Amino acid sequence: MKRTLRFGTLESRIYMIFTLMIFATVFVMQLVSFRFTMNTVRNSTLENNRILLGQLVTQIDSYIEGMEQISLAVQNDVQLLEYLQEEKDPSSAEYSFIQQRLGNYIQARNDISDIIIVGHNGAVIAGDPETALNPWTNVSEKEWYRDAIDAGGQTAVSSSYVQNIVAGRYSWVVSLSREILSPNRNESLGVLLVDLKFNRIKDLCQSLVVGSKGYNFIIDSEQNYIFHPTQQLVYSNLRNEPLESIYSILGSTEEKFYHSDSKYFMIETSSITGWYIISVTYDSDIVTDWQYVQISYTFLGLVLFLIVGFATNRISTGITKPVRKLQEIMKSVDTGEFRLVGQIEATDEIRELAREYDTMVGHVRKLMDANIKEQELKRKSDLKALQAQINPHFLYNTLDSIIWMGEMGQNKEVVLMTSALSKLFRISISKGREFISISDEIAHVESYLTIQKMRYKDKFEYSIEIDPDLYNCTILKITLQPLVENAIYHGIKEVDHKGTIRITGEEQDGNIKLEVIDNGKGMTKSEMAELNSSLNISTDSSGLSRYGMGVHNVHERIQLYFGEDFGLSYFPADGGGTRITVLIPSRPLEVL
Amino acid sequence: MKNWYLFLLSLVAAFVLFIVLSFFYNQNTPEELELSEPIRIVLKSIEGQPMDFWEVATQGIDEAAKEFGINVRISGPRFEKEINRQINIMNAVIDERPPLIVLAANDYKRLVASVEKADSLGIPVITIDSGVNSDIPVSFIATNNIDAGEKAGEEMERLISLNSRKSIAIVSHIKETATAIDREAGVREALGGENIVGTWFCDVEPEKAYLITMELLKNESIGGIVALNEMATLGVARAIDESRASDRIFVVGFDNSVRELAYLEEGIIKATVVQRPYNMGYLSIKTAVEYLKGNKVETFLDTGSILITKENMFKREYQELLFPVSKK
Repeated sequence: MKRTLRFGTLESRIYMIFTLMIFATVFVMQLVSFRFTMNTVRNSTLENNRILLGQLVTQIDSYIEGMEQISLAVQNDVQLLEYLQEEKDPSSAEYSFIQQRLGNYIQARNDISDIIIVGHNGAVIAGDPETALNPWTNVSEKEWYRDAIDAGGQTAVSSSYVQNIVAGRYSWVVSLSREILSPNRNESLGVLLVDLKFNRIKDLCQSLVVGSKGYNFIIDSEQNYIFHPTQQLVYSNLRNEPLESIYSILGSTEEKFYHSDSKYFMIETSSITGWYIISVTYDSDIVTDWQYVQISYTFLGLVLFLIVGFATNRISTGITKPVRKLQEIMKSVDTGEFRLVGQIEATDEIRELAREYDTMVGHVRKLMDANIKEQELKRKSDLKALQAQINPHFLYNTLDSIIWMGEMGQNKEVVLMTSALSKLFRISISKGREFISISDEIAHVESYLTIQKMRYKDKFEYSIEIDPDLYNCTILKITLQPLVENAIYHGIKEVDHKGTIRITGEEQDGNIKLEVIDNGKGMTKSEMAELNSSLNISTDSSGLSRYGMGVHNVHERIQLYFGEDFGLSYFPADGGGTRITVLIPSRPLEVL
Repeated sequence: MKNWYLFLLSLVAAFVLFIVLSFFYNQNTPEELELSEPIRIVLKSIEGQPMDFWEVATQGIDEAAKEFGINVRISGPRFEKEINRQINIMNAVIDERPPLIVLAANDYKRLVASVEKADSLGIPVITIDSGVNSDIPVSFIATNNIDAGEKAGEEMERLISLNSRKSIAIVSHIKETATAIDREAGVREALGGENIVGTWFCDVEPEKAYLITMELLKNESIGGIVALNEMATLGVARAIDESRASDRIFVVGFDNSVRELAYLEEGIIKATVVQRPYNMGYLSIKTAVEYLKGNKVETFLDTGSILITKENMFKREYQELLFPVSKK
């Protein structure tokens, strides 16, 4: 059997359909899972990001708060307040005492850049004794100074900027400034400035980032950048942040982030400073290894395709194999051989089909058998009819002979012939049976011979020499009579000398061999051969005489009932004449 | 199993699936440039003062490298005057066959041979800050120094109108350098109608600029000095400071070292023209990435310059430029 996939076969169709289905399924699956994974990963990343951002805000807030504590402590310093209320005197002990205390704060917190107190009385106290104020700057014009006065005792937090209050030093700071009020709270004594090193905030912003590209930046409510890792790019418009869109999600509870240009922006507000801290996460940092996902889905696809392949193979083998077997068996009908399928390993449907087929074949077989039997019976009945036809002429002749003998007054002969005739008919009818005992057959032929001998006025003699052991054996009725008839009409009748007819019978190799031997005309060798061969030719086509037909019928009937090994054959008899041999199987008589 | 064809068909189907998926994923992942070797950068000098021009430029380079996800390696001589050393470094870099070289040439003419060698080996070159006398570099990213010179010249023109002394001197840093040539041309262009007494060269040494200025101070007619780079500016400013001549002689300088900014605040320098080294570094890498991706790049990219005076030096948008937040 050829084992390749041909389109059009059940197998290939199942395989194609399943493969296409799997293909579509896997594709849709990965589409869905792509979105799903993307969402999950993104959400969890953004959630982590938010937590991180919250931490950042908390840290910045607590950092600023810590600084505020310091500023509060400083401003509640009684000594300081007293000093500011008095005339300034940089050489006094109070001055250096206060300065030392401020210096301690700077020492304790290395993230404080400067602590400076600017008194309205003209006193300027810096925490760092080395500090010389920048002579080129005007303190009262500074933003932190004005903001502190405006805040009226509250802490003002500045944006990030370059502090130039100390000569020759330009440092990035965030300023906390606060107006110093007298204890009775109605007189302004000066401004306290605490400068925080901006690097601290910058480090915080740069340490809490997500992914290799993510970053944080801080803006204030006027959209000024407090911190941006690439501030220069921002200011020269080489990089733009979508500030408007970021602000728009500020109050919204639904929108937790803003997505644009493959970046996610999240915003948190620092309550103390009023700053907005924004964390930026890149798409590419969220999901990095799509190649891996792709390969795993392809592998999944391959496994599924293979499973489909084998499953298809199993299914189609389960269907096509029994179907092919069925088909092969059905083909045997063509050759006239009706084979049964019998037990078959297949699905219920196929088994059902096989069973139905078997039943059908059974019916067909039965029908055919019945048909054959019918045919045979028909032929037999034909033969029987023929058999019946034997008699009329003979009957008329015999009856004529009887009438004639009656007229002659030969009563004795009339009685003999009539009883022979009666016997003849009784036996030939035999209640319709086909088989009779040999003794009956002998009686039959003897009756016939008696009649013929009387009719032909002793033109011949006859003798019957059949082994009495055979008397009870079976024989087709009217076997010998046609042979005798033939011997009379074609043998003895044709010669002048007195004829003899000998009927012998003996057992031979388990069969019965009967012979009718006459000393009549006899035949040439070629006639004999022709006659022998004509025995096996169908009756209808041979132009046989009525008598020839009788002999032929005997042969045919014997063969019909016993098979082709049996039948008649002509032989030349010793001393001229003809010998016909009848071979039949030896069977005891049974009541049929 | 004899059904090899099923296995084959499954493989084919899986392969098709792979192709379809890769098409799908490629659409969903942004295109990234992947280089096996880092882009090489040869700077004018690598051991300057903190926050000086090249350090800030390096910050820009690093930022861009991070943004575009590529590796860079920076090298260069210790000092700007080591031209031969830069040539040697350049040749060594070329031998390593990097995908691209970014060069800030210390000499306009003498580095041409190295650039030609790189070109013959198929290595593209981008020049920054100072170019070479060749058409080979795919892009030149620098301050437009003629523009910058004009800004300084225009400011000087404004200042000199307030001064009774009308003569103007130019103190340049080095004779055969593109930046010096261009800036001077810009200054002269802007000061077309003014009396320029001459150009002096300090050879990138503040001491020499100081001495030149001391000499110029003897000329009673000189009311303005334009100094064309940081070293020249520092030298000139020190001389003016020491001579307490800031009310008589107005100085317009270049660049933004901390010392210069202090002079600016004190009023010794009236204005300074600053470049944007951060942007220069950033844009050099951005351009390199664009070029390696096969996109078209500008043959000249002006990173811009800004005139800084005492009035605008603490403006929010210039603070980061003038006082870069150090990495350290």
